[in-house]
Amino acid sequence: MHLSLALKLLWRDWRAGELTLLLVSLIIAVSTVTTITLFVDRLQQALLKESATFLAADRVISSSDPIADEILIKAGELGLQHAQTLSFLSMVFSNDRAQFASVKAVSDNYPLRGKLIVSDAPFVRGTPVESAPAPGEVWLESRLLPSLGVNKGDILDIGVASFPITNVLVKEPDRGSGFNSVGPRVLMNLEDVPATEVVQPGSRLTYRYLFAGDVATLDEFEAWVKPKLGVEARMFGVKEGAAGIGNALDRAERFLLLGGLLGVILAGVAIALAAQRYSLRHYNHVAILKTLGATPGGIDTIFIVIFLVLGSLSTIVGSCVGFVVQIAAVKILEPLIPIELPNPGLRPLGVGIATGFICLLSFALPPLLKLRAIVPLRVIRRDLGEAGIADRMTYSFAIMGTIGLMWWYSQDLRLTMMIFSGGVVAMLVMSVLAFGLIRSGRIFGMQAGSAWRLALAGMQRRGQENIMQILVFGLAIMLLLILYLVRTSLVEDWRAQIPENAPNHFAINISPEDVAPIIQLFHENGVASEPLYPMIRGRITSVNGQLSTERDKQREAAAGANGPRLSAGRNLTWAADLPDDNRIVAGKWWPQNYQGPVQVSLEEDLARTNRLKVGDELVFTIQGRKLNVIVASVRTVAWDNMRPNFYIIFSPGALEDFPSTYMTSFFLEKHEKLFLNTLLNQYPTMTVIEVDALIEQIRRIISQVTLAIELVLGLILISGGLVLLASIQASMDERLKQHAILRTLGASQKLVLGSLAIEFGTLGFFAGVLATFGAEITVYGLETEIFQLDYEINPELWVLGPVVGMLLIGVVGTLAALKVVRTPPITVLREL
Amino acid sequence: MIRTIGLGKTVSTSEGQLTILKGIDLEIKKSESVAIVGASGSGKTTLLSLLAGLDTPTCGEIFLGEYKLTDLNEEQRAKVRGQMVGFVFQTFQLLNSLTAIENVMLPAELKGDSRAKEKAGEVLRRVGLAHRFNHYPSHLSGGEQQRVAIARAFASTAEVLFADEPTGNLDTVTGGHIIDLIFELNEEFGTTLVLVTHDVRLADRCTRSITIDSGEIV
Repeated sequence: MHLSLALKLLWRDWRAGELTLLLVSLIIAVSTVTTITLFVDRLQQALLKESATFLAADRVISSSDPIADEILIKAGELGLQHAQTLSFLSMVFSNDRAQFASVKAVSDNYPLRGKLIVSDAPFVRGTPVESAPAPGEVWLESRLLPSLGVNKGDILDIGVASFPITNVLVKEPDRGSGFNSVGPRVLMNLEDVPATEVVQPGSRLTYRYLFAGDVATLDEFEAWVKPKLGVEARMFGVKEGAAGIGNALDRAERFLLLGGLLGVILAGVAIALAAQRYSLRHYNHVAILKTLGATPGGIDTIFIVIFLVLGSLSTIVGSCVGFVVQIAAVKILEPLIPIELPNPGLRPLGVGIATGFICLLSFALPPLLKLRAIVPLRVIRRDLGEAGIADRMTYSFAIMGTIGLMWWYSQDLRLTMMIFSGGVVAMLVMSVLAFGLIRSGRIFGMQAGSAWRLALAGMQRRGQENIMQILVFGLAIMLLLILYLVRTSLVEDWRAQIPENAPNHFAINISPEDVAPIIQLFHENGVASEPLYPMIRGRITSVNGQLSTERDKQREAAAGANGPRLSAGRNLTWAADLPDDNRIVAGKWWPQNYQGPVQVSLEEDLARTNRLKVGDELVFTIQGRKLNVIVASVRTVAWDNMRPNFYIIFSPGALEDFPSTYMTSFFLEKHEKLFLNTLLNQYPTMTVIEVDALIEQIRRIISQVTLAIELVLGLILISGGLVLLASIQASMDERLKQHAILRTLGASQKLVLGSLAIEFGTLGFFAGVLATFGAEITVYGLETEIFQLDYEINPELWVLGPVVGMLLIGVVGTLAALKVVRTPPITVLREL
Repeated sequence: MIRTIGLGKTVSTSEGQLTILKGIDLEIKKSESVAIVGASGSGKTTLLSLLAGLDTPTCGEIFLGEYKLTDLNEEQRAKVRGQMVGFVFQTFQLLNSLTAIENVMLPAELKGDSRAKEKAGEVLRRVGLAHRFNHYPSHLSGGEQQRVAIARAFASTAEVLFADEPTGNLDTVTGGHIIDLIFELNEEFGTTLVLVTHDVRLADRCTRSITIDSGEIV
């Protein structure tokens, strides 16, 4: 019985225009969420794909031994693309010279992501090519040609085989992965390796297996492969594999998630407001139905049916609208987006629909379910009804929904709880402040003109509703400010991360006696360089008496092979002063002129992954000798700053007994590149690694990421505007009624609009003050805890927030209320 | 048809407990028409709300037909209202989003009556609104709105009709027509009529009057 009645009532409500605002709000909210979800998903995928060129693949298995065939068979079965590289160090020979080189042998289809760039002559811009060196050919990096005295077309000997040099290698996509690739590059075909006879049992080899494919298949493959890999092998994607951009991508991803999250909450608030208005307008409706014999259960059925129909309709229509809008947005923005976006998948569409429905369930259902508690006596006494309706359910649904959605979106409980608790505290503080502001407004208004008096008296009379409204306005403005502030800090931080003159060359293998003359040479040629750091290879062999290999096995059995391995060979250095971009997080850096027992400072990730702490006793094996040390401090390292960075730094003098080489980094403009030849001719034993191409690539990706977050910010701004509109609309009935009565009593258009403008403007001003306050606090938490940025207070915001709030709410509110002066009062009163 | 024993109602206010009704014992027989009269604030509307099961008393018992209302919860009271009670209010209480005929159909629809429209049409014609079936309340005059409300009350074939100041919002002439209509239909349908009023003409048409003063029957 109730089902058909519910459908009839739904139809009658629709016909009478009661549902329009609710349905429109729901559709807008769902479509905003779908648009943002789809857009963010496509951007994220595109950025990852673009960034994958850093690895020449989406996933890489790096190993010192060949991996089991079954892994490659599985990759084939799953339809993944696969390529292979083998790297080793070897002497290479021209007619009359020899040079130590880093040889990389690649399969025909290398690289899977990104392009090889080649040229005909050294030190010039090249052009991309589609294929790797063919069997029987080699390509040489620019600086290898002058040092071997060869040109394109000459012959190069590797081991017992000879190959013609057919190209100058300008760039390979996965060149920038640390110092394993020391020595100038020789690129050859994998098929030619046996002929060289260079690879012998015991040779130090790095096998890299490259894979590319869609995200889901790669994830499935990774989950299948990881348990099968031995300790000698490691699987990673772009984030773990390329520290330079992993961090930027991580932060961008967090930002996009945060953006999506705030968009969802804004949509939720809009839905809650529209549903609340619908529910308020149905108090009398329900009281009459109850008087006529409708039971509370029957009321539930009626409104649940209405909810389900509206929910399904708005979810379906909203998702379709969202889908179309994001396609249109991408089309419009195409000239601005420098990367190709992958096709939208079904998953984000599903996520959009699910998000929409969860939003409805959390924010729209509770106000409707509240209707069952309306007392029938309200038909006689209009003031009854709101009292006695427990709001506990509404709040619990909204809280559960908000936390659930935030958690689902961010997959990060800490971030969720941080924003949520920040929000709750801000709301409490804001309620108290809003109450105080409204009271003080009234006192001020007593001495003011009639429009002011009317507006401020009205504000105080509807004190509770206005506090709610200030909170909603404040919340919307606050979320927008948060996003804007975080975006600004992120972009500034990225720009500062690689400044214009960031070092773009690394020099390694500098012998101690060359240090002073090289500094002199840099000085004479006006080359800006970092300090020279000594560098020695060594490894940790035991921790507090336990072998490090054993600890590795235990850790990998328990937590997998992620993070830096304890027993791996590492570049060690010593330093008197803490490097500029490093920050101590535990223990203390040694004092100036430290003379005591040998101490080390460890990088945070290495220490945390391997459960090392200040005070631990480590034994290092360096050049076959053992050295006992104590961990003095743990520090963070800015890996992406293009300066010499070390996992492990010793106290000064600790490694003096070991022969070491030195390293540094320096900056050269493009036109100063010839200085490299001077440097290498004078100091042929040193190796220079050019990272300018890498830096350019990082800059390009960062500018793309920046654009992506700005686009998302734009979408969220639109969604925030909708919330403001919904909120103003939701409070309009009561205001229209009051002002229609004033019009009946002869109030002029100027007085009515003036008082409305003052009322909305004042609410907007207060909301702006509270939003600024809340935004500063939340941004402090987000920047310091989640984005690892340095927080700075934003003085301009304290002017901008309240003024924008006042103008925005004042203008939009007054425009929305124009109806009251344009239509006869009796029409307004009859409709309400 | 209606009986109360020791009925009382007290509410909490910021100034303490306020007694609205106390020790009300009354009996209203089937087909009787009873006017509850008294000064403003005497408690007559509260008494009507209690008798109709719209509100619950603080003490005492209420019997409506075979039901002891004071033993029933809101769900059960709603069912009783749906089965045997009709209402007419001073402020009409029509649903603005429903047309005249849809408002009249509502009680029958709540009972699941498939002939709701047919019955509603008959009663609307009976109250003289044959030409107003598809008009919304906001397009009807006060008198017309009250006629729709009366049609709604009688369309549900209620055994008891409760009316709260049914002429309170109408001018004298229209009020007079409404009074005539209520009593005509009351006779026609054999309903028990309980109404609250200040209107002496209306009270005089009833078989008896109960006067309330400061919450007590005098």
